[in-house]
Amino acid sequence: MTLRADNRLADAPMTAVHCRRCATQVLVRKSSWDQTSVQWNALATASCIERSTAQRLAAYGGHGSFLRCSELGASIADAVRRGVLPVVEESSPRSGS
Amino acid sequence: MSTGSLHDDVRLIEADAAPNRFARGWHCLGLTRDFGDGAPHQVNAFGQKLVVFRGGDGEINILDSYCRHMGGDLSQGQVKGNEIACPFHDWRWGGDGRCKKVPYSRRVPRLARTATWPTLEQDGMLFVWNDPERSAPPAEVTIPRIEGATSDKWTDWHWYTTVVNTNCREIIDNVVDMAHFYYIHGSLPTHFKNIFEGHVATQYMKSGSRPDIDDPEGVKLLGTTSLASYHGPSFMIDDLTYHYESADQRTVLINCHYPIDANSFVLQYGIVVEKSEFLPEELAVQTAHALGDFVKMGFEQDVEIWRSKARIDNPLLVEEDGPVYQLRRWYEQFYVDVADVTPDMVDRFEFELDTTRPSEAWMKEVEDNMAAKASVSGTVG
Repeated sequence: MTLRADNRLADAPMTAVHCRRCATQVLVRKSSWDQTSVQWNALATASCIERSTAQRLAAYGGHGSFLRCSELGASIADAVRRGVLPVVEESSPRSGS
Repeated sequence: MSTGSLHDDVRLIEADAAPNRFARGWHCLGLTRDFGDGAPHQVNAFGQKLVVFRGGDGEINILDSYCRHMGGDLSQGQVKGNEIACPFHDWRWGGDGRCKKVPYSRRVPRLARTATWPTLEQDGMLFVWNDPERSAPPAEVTIPRIEGATSDKWTDWHWYTTVVNTNCREIIDNVVDMAHFYYIHGSLPTHFKNIFEGHVATQYMKSGSRPDIDDPEGVKLLGTTSLASYHGPSFMIDDLTYHYESADQRTVLINCHYPIDANSFVLQYGIVVEKSEFLPEELAVQTAHALGDFVKMGFEQDVEIWRSKARIDNPLLVEEDGPVYQLRRWYEQFYVDVADVTPDMVDRFEFELDTTRPSEAWMKEVEDNMAAKASVSGTVG
């Protein structure tokens, strides 16, 4: 199958965000205040400290699902506050009005 | 009027034909108790006819059902000892795929070997490994154990099987479809998250109860937490917990399928419910049945849509839709050779919706920040 690109990314691509704890770089996109997408790569998952801690704990009977990195979450929130990470629903309708 | 320009800006639905290649991975065929009785069982899967049988040695084997001699259907034959005997001329085939005996001949031909599929019996279920490259199943993609499945503290499997006449990609798309939980499952997600990483695709959901839907038997349901992961292309384990005022009620819901061919699949779902002082044996079984009926209703509504919908490779999405494209990119890893799996198919991707954060407060904070920044740069400039 030919894999196609997400039509939403054409209007507002993802933005690089660094984690304040381990300097991992991921790509982030916020379509609204409530919604966040995060694209990791192999280097980012390998260097995330919270993730490797969670994996070690999972070996002792945890569930094994690493749901989120709280430091990265805070870094993303920070990027929004600093205005370097746009929120799509906030920026796009306003530019048209 | 110019008819030539009429169609210029029409969005076209694009779709390749459903693949004739079948996904690499473990597929659950159903409950072991339905296959392990010592009789041969026919399974139509991966565009082929398979025979499943438990030999006298206790091993469950899966072979191509067509005898390499004259094409007899082994699933219509008999289990003799550890082998399956063809109903046509009684040729005997072992679980390793080798012809062990031709009763009317002194020897078996060289190259008398048929196709076999690796099996896994676990937690009451039978799994088959499909791989177009015919490699052995790697340990790291094995199906995780299910705590409740073999415990006396939980009910036995309550299991459904049904055939759906569409390509199985349709059911995979459900992983990212947030909206349908409200309409079909009567839940109101306050937190929804998808994570795709490696061979696992996860859907995490926290829901409050809906005020417009009555609580069962006057017990106050506060909400539900669901952590559901596809482990590979077809087997989803959903740890689904109901939060009542008095206690938590844990359940595990399996949602799995295997392809019959490119345009049909067998859909199965199973449920186990934890017993407790609030939910003794009989009530727990009732709960499993009730939950099963609820899930059945949901899938029946899906099936009704699938029956007439078009296959679409280029869905037109709004910001409120889930990560359909990213999910399909993850799913594609199972349809290419291992050597052709690209990093973007397996790299971690997260899609999160959290409605519990007070966005107004946050918005104000950002605006204040921006205003402060503007005034600073104004002073400097």
